[in-house]
Amino acid sequence: MFGASLYIIVCSSRNRIVRRLRRLREPRYLIGAVVGVAYLYFSIFARMRGAAVTRRGRVRTPPSLAAALATLPPAGVGGIGAGLLLIAALTWIFPTDSGLIDFSEAETDFLFPAPVTRRQLLTHRLIRSQLPLLFGAVVSSIFVPFAAMAERVRFAAGVFIVLSAIRVYFTGVTLARARLTSASATVRRMAWAPLAVIVVAVGVVGVPIWRAIMTAPPGDPGQMLTIAGGAVTTGPAAIVLWPFAALVRPLFAESGAQFFSRLGGAFAVLAVLVAWVLRSDEAFQEVAAEATVRTARTKAGGQAAPRVRATAWLLPLSGRTESVFFWKNGMQTLRAINVKTVIPFIPFVLFSVGAATLRMSATGARGPAAALCIVALMLAGFSTLLGPQTVRSDLRGDLRHIDLLKTWPVKAAALVRGEMLWPTSLLTLCAWFALACGTILSTAAFPNLTTVWRLSLCAAAFLLAPALIVAQFTIHNAAAILFPAWIPIGNQRPRGLDMMGQRLIMFAAVLLALVVMVGPGAIAGAIIWLAFHRLIDAAALVPAATVCLGIVCVEVMLVTEALGPAYDRIDLSDVELGE
Amino acid sequence: MPLAVQQLTRTYAGPAGSTFTAVDSLSFDLGGGEIVGLIGPNGAGKTTTLRSLAGILRPTSGHVIVDGHDVVADAIAAKRRLAFMPDEPHLFEYLTVEEHLRLVARLYQVDDFDRRARALIEELELAGKERSLPGELSRGMRQKVVIACGLVRDASILLFDEPLTGLDPVGIRRMRQTIVARGRAGACVLVSSHLLHLVEEICTRVIIMNHGKKIADGTVAELASRDDLAGAESNLEQIFLRVTGHPTTAEPG
Repeated sequence: MFGASLYIIVCSSRNRIVRRLRRLREPRYLIGAVVGVAYLYFSIFARMRGAAVTRRGRVRTPPSLAAALATLPPAGVGGIGAGLLLIAALTWIFPTDSGLIDFSEAETDFLFPAPVTRRQLLTHRLIRSQLPLLFGAVVSSIFVPFAAMAERVRFAAGVFIVLSAIRVYFTGVTLARARLTSASATVRRMAWAPLAVIVVAVGVVGVPIWRAIMTAPPGDPGQMLTIAGGAVTTGPAAIVLWPFAALVRPLFAESGAQFFSRLGGAFAVLAVLVAWVLRSDEAFQEVAAEATVRTARTKAGGQAAPRVRATAWLLPLSGRTESVFFWKNGMQTLRAINVKTVIPFIPFVLFSVGAATLRMSATGARGPAAALCIVALMLAGFSTLLGPQTVRSDLRGDLRHIDLLKTWPVKAAALVRGEMLWPTSLLTLCAWFALACGTILSTAAFPNLTTVWRLSLCAAAFLLAPALIVAQFTIHNAAAILFPAWIPIGNQRPRGLDMMGQRLIMFAAVLLALVVMVGPGAIAGAIIWLAFHRLIDAAALVPAATVCLGIVCVEVMLVTEALGPAYDRIDLSDVELGE
Repeated sequence: MPLAVQQLTRTYAGPAGSTFTAVDSLSFDLGGGEIVGLIGPNGAGKTTTLRSLAGILRPTSGHVIVDGHDVVADAIAAKRRLAFMPDEPHLFEYLTVEEHLRLVARLYQVDDFDRRARALIEELELAGKERSLPGELSRGMRQKVVIACGLVRDASILLFDEPLTGLDPVGIRRMRQTIVARGRAGACVLVSSHLLHLVEEICTRVIIMNHGKKIADGTVAELASRDDLAGAESNLEQIFLRVTGHPTTAEPG
């Protein structure tokens, strides 16, 4: 099986690389790759080189990573070990999906019926998961500032061991949790044992740390780490923390020799974890089957499988084409998200806003109200400026259904507008809700603004939010129609340097297009403002924003009409399929 | 003619600027009440043909005329008369069976939706699954939903791509009856399938494609009487093997 695993890994990696290189013959991938390489060079490697060269061009010796790490509190290793123990304990309460047993559909179909043991299957996944971890470790070492190459290599190796151990541990917890309620008493005991060990370990380590903190309360996180680390450097806590500290100790090695001497301990811990996971393979088949189904559903739909929920929202059998897509995309959101879990947050938010306002009125304390106001305005800004990038329940999400959409007898422009209608409405509502909260609390955050200014700014923001949102959706959907090959289908995240470059190009193009699209409205609004603000002061913001909104709406209508023929010409072979 | 295909050609871009012709100058007509089988080896261009007829793929050249409306130039009018049932049941994963039918009814402006939907749900044995999402259905059930969506409206042209894939024996029998009934009701039906006995049983005419071209067109009896097919027994399998250049008897070893 080991040979078969290596064969799969080598062939898959080789074919993936060959495929990515071969597709560079197409200009869109080549351009993407050039931009991706340029981005990496200027953002990482040039910075690394720049750090090593003085402004006068003289090469300087990079300061040692060990020296940098030496600035950590002396008990840093113990503190980090205690942190790892905490994560290890929390994993039992909040299980984390390590992905180690997420077999692909091909792996399930080929390897599960094959004459191999479950342990061999687990070993296969263990081996297969190492490449991404290694990549992650190498990338993390690139970002380490001011380190010599040898130190970077040591750092990457240390991070790799820690990441491997974490992944194996998470898998072990997943498998053990599945056996906690096993019918067999022996299996149950074996599953509960590590949990009991962790609970005892938390007690042994937690008590001295608690005492130390109570004796000398820390002022900042650095002090906290020092106190926590200092409290566990001796006694039973130090013994309990040894495996955790041993894992991270190679990261703190000051020389090559020290690094290699510390590797033994880290590998020993990793080996124990691997042995634990391999011994708990009874629950493997069920857990792996569940994980495979979950992965397949996520891949097929681009997101978690929806559930039927009564919405009482029936599609009328007549009406405008746009409303069909409004309903369809609305159902997608309502079925993907459990509204009942979201609704309780609304009274909570309203209560928080009301309480902060009342407290401010009664005691004059502005702090909480001002903080809430800033949070609300940031949420409004996020909904308006980044929401259209992330909420993809429009034509971008429907590109995977394009063959079905193209059989429908509907006007293309109406289809495009309809696809944008639901996400625009949803984000606008979110932005308005946040803006309303921000406005109520704005007296605290912006005490110098008059009521007229506050209300005018709020009204203008209410008008501009949908303008900015719909403009961005128009641009994203136009890109999906004009350059379908550049748009990831559904929630796909295509990988590769060329795809990263494509995303960067698209991001820049969207920003540029947004400036062009909102520009006329902004100019017209500015003219209105200049003409009227002397007469009606801040209230001039409202007609200015109204004019801007009107112009953007007209542009949206024109652009969607113009996109109609382009939609009809979309070639399905241009729509990018995931690797 | 309800459906006229005139010199339909469809090419795809290949690697390094090359092109691949999937359908090459294909022409045929379909009359009302005809059930035509479209057969051919894998890669013959059947699915590309059907997808071009349905308006999913834009022909590289040539025309598809549906009741006098060009599928490209007058797409909305043409698509209103077409129903395409693909081999892979692509459904919206967040809409129930009933909602899919309702969506189609709205898009195609179907009158008397409730009665039609109920009848179809019974006919295709989807009763009890009306409120299920596609993810909760087997592949065969999803295929039935796709077919129900195609049949819920009065399309004059029905295009089936491998309609029996994933269906159980009862479902296959029902589907055969459904297709024949639609043909008898006056619709023109084009069925692409590798199941030659099905094609022979229900189709009034057969079109055989190979390498994107039409290589035979006619009833089974007409094809069997062709000079180049003399000697082939008058069953579709023998005709198919002969016309596509395959040996008609199993070779030893």
